[in-house]
Amino acid sequence: MIQHTFGLLVKPSAQWRTIAELPEKSLNTLVLYPCIMAILPAVAWYYGTSQVGWTVGDHGDTVRLTTASARQICILFYLAMVTSVAIIGYFIHWMSATYGADSSITKGIVIAGLTATPLFITGLVGFHPVLWLDLLIGVAAISWSVYLLYLGIPIVMDIPEERGFLFSSAVLAIALVILIALMVSSVILWEYGAAPAFTD
Amino acid sequence: MSELNSTLEHPTYNYKVVRQFTVMTVVWGIVGMLVGVLIAAQLAWPALNFDLPWLHFGRLRPLHTNAVIFAFGGSALFATSYYIVQRTCQVRLISDKLAALTFWGWQLIILLAAISFPMGWTSGKEYAELEWPIDLLITVVWVLYAITFFGTIVKRKTDHIYVANWFLGAFIIAVAVLHIINSLAIPVGPTKSYSIYAGTVDAMVQWWYGHNAVGFFLTAGFLGMMYYFVPKQAERPVYSYRLSIVHFWALVAVYIWAGPHHLHYTALPDWAQSLGMVMSLILLAPSWGGMINGMMTLSGAWHKLRHDPILRFLIVSLSFYGMSTFEGPMMSIKTVNSLSHYTDWTIGHVHSGALGWVAMISIGCIYHLIPILFGKERMYSTSLINTHFWMSTIGTVLYIASMWVNGIMQGLMWRAYNQDGTLTYTFAESVAASYPGYVVRVIGGAIFFAGMLIMAYNLYMTSRRDVAPQAAPTAAAAA
Repeated sequence: MIQHTFGLLVKPSAQWRTIAELPEKSLNTLVLYPCIMAILPAVAWYYGTSQVGWTVGDHGDTVRLTTASARQICILFYLAMVTSVAIIGYFIHWMSATYGADSSITKGIVIAGLTATPLFITGLVGFHPVLWLDLLIGVAAISWSVYLLYLGIPIVMDIPEERGFLFSSAVLAIALVILIALMVSSVILWEYGAAPAFTD
Repeated sequence: MSELNSTLEHPTYNYKVVRQFTVMTVVWGIVGMLVGVLIAAQLAWPALNFDLPWLHFGRLRPLHTNAVIFAFGGSALFATSYYIVQRTCQVRLISDKLAALTFWGWQLIILLAAISFPMGWTSGKEYAELEWPIDLLITVVWVLYAITFFGTIVKRKTDHIYVANWFLGAFIIAVAVLHIINSLAIPVGPTKSYSIYAGTVDAMVQWWYGHNAVGFFLTAGFLGMMYYFVPKQAERPVYSYRLSIVHFWALVAVYIWAGPHHLHYTALPDWAQSLGMVMSLILLAPSWGGMINGMMTLSGAWHKLRHDPILRFLIVSLSFYGMSTFEGPMMSIKTVNSLSHYTDWTIGHVHSGALGWVAMISIGCIYHLIPILFGKERMYSTSLINTHFWMSTIGTVLYIASMWVNGIMQGLMWRAYNQDGTLTYTFAESVAASYPGYVVRVIGGAIFFAGMLIMAYNLYMTSRRDVAPQAAPTAAAAA
C-alpha cells in the first residue's frame, strides 16, 4: 500500500497505470487505504490543537483545545474524511456509465482515496498549526490532488483523455459540493454539541 | 461604422443590435471588473482611495456591482436574448428602431450610473442604488425591451416557443415587477428620494428585490442563454426537454419566496425568516435541474473538447452554478447564517456565482457569437481563448478560497468569548487577521480581469477585416 503513496507523489503517471492493472482482489484491499491514511491528519491535529496550540492575529496568547474536546473533534474529523472519500467514490462509480467507463463502487472509492494522498500526507502539518503556512501547504496539496485526479481518471477508467477531462471536472464539482457540506455541517455541529472547548 | 455594419448585415435577422451589445459586454466587463479589482485592493491597502471622496470604497462598491451586474451581465443578456429570440422564432425583431432605442437607452443609463455613484447620489438600496430619475429611465427602456422581445415571439414563424425564450421571458417580466415595486419612492430633489416603505417592510421589499435580482436577472436570464448556446456549441439536443420545463416552473415558483434569508436574526418576524429558509432549501432542486440538464447535454460532446475551449467555459460555468446553488441554500440555514452572515463567506459565495457562473457562461456564449456576428469562421485565436479559460478558472478559485478562509475565520473570531463573557477579539483584530486573504483576493480578481483584456484583444483582431483567423487549432493542440 505504501508504494502507491510514494508512487503517486513521485511518478504519478506510471503509478496510475500500475493501479489500473491491479486485479479485483487488490482493489478490495485498497478500500482500506483511505481508512488508514486518514489517521495521519486526525492524530496530527489532535496533538497540534491540544498540545502545541496556535495564535490568531497579533493576539499574543496561544490558543489550545482541552484534550477531551480535541479528541471529540478529531474523531469527527476522521469520520468526515472517510465518509467524504466514500461518497466521492460512490459518485465516481455512479457517473462512470455516463462517461463510458466500467466501474464498481470499490473502484470509485479506491480512486477517490488514492487521489486524496497529498491531502492525507500534508495533513501532518497539524502537528504545528500556523494558520497561513498551513493554508499555503493545503493549497499546494489540493492542487496536487486535482492534478492526480485529472491524470488518473482517464488511465484507471480506461477512457479517452477528453472524456476523462469531463469526468474529472464532474468529480471536482461533486468534491466542491461535499466541501461545502463539510463546512456547513461543522457550523451546525458547533452549534449543537461539538463546540470546541479551549484551555484558559 | 455604418459601412462596417452594412457589409455585415444578415439578410433576415437584425445582427446589428446583437453586435453592439456584444461589444459593450466586453467593454463593460473590463470597466466593472477593473473597479472591482480597485476596491478589492482598497480593502487590503486602504491608502488606495487617495483621500478622494469619488474614489471612496462606499461610492465605488455600488459602481462595481451595478457595472458588472447591469452593464456587463445586462449587455450580455440583451445581446443573447435578441439573438436567441430571432433564431428560435425564425423571424427578425419586430422593430429595428425599438431595438436601437433599447441599446442607446441602456448605455445612457450605465453612463448616468457611472457619474452618479462617484458623486455619492444613492438611494441606499443594495443593487438598486440608482436615484429616481434614472429608475424612471430604466422602466421606460425595460418596457421597450419587453415589447421588442415579446412582439418578436408573437410574430414567430415556428409553432413552438423554445424553452430558452421561456427563461428569458420570465427574466424580463420578473425584473420589471421587481424594479418598479422596489424603487417606489418619494423624491425630495433631483438626486435624493425616500422609499415609500418604512422600517422592516422596506427591508423585506428590498431583499425580496435583491434576492430575485439574483434569481431572475442572474439566474433565469443566464439559464435562457445556457439552453440555447450549450446545445448549439455541443451540437447536440438538450438532454431532457421535459426536465427543462419542469425546472423552469419550479424555479419561477420557488425563487420569489427566498428573499427573507437575507434578514435572518433581524427585526423581520421569525416565521418569515423560517419560511425564507425553507423555500431557499427547496430551491436546490430546480437549480440542480438546470445544472444536470446542461451537464448531461455537454457530456455527449466530449470528443470536441480538445479543440474547443468554449465548451470548457460552459462546463466549468455549470460546475460553479451547481456548487453555488448548493452553497446558497446551505448558507440560508439559520444556524449556518448566524456564523456566515456579514463575513467574507457571503462575498465568496456571491462571486462563485458571479465569476464562476454568470461571467463564465457569458464569456463562453460571447465567444460563440463574435465570429458569427463579424462574418468569420472562428475567433482570431483559439489558443488565446484557452488562455482566457485558465485565467478565469484560476482567478475564480483564488477568489472563492480566500473568502472562505476569511469568512469562517471572521465568523469564529466574532463569536469567540472568554469565560467572563467578554469578547475574545476586537473587530479590528479580525480585520487585521483577514489581510492575507484580501491580498489573495486581489490577485485572483486581477487574473480574472486580465483574462478580459485578452478577450478584448481577441475580439478586436476577429473584427478586423484585414486579418484572417490563425491556423486551425488542430496544429496548436499537437504542439
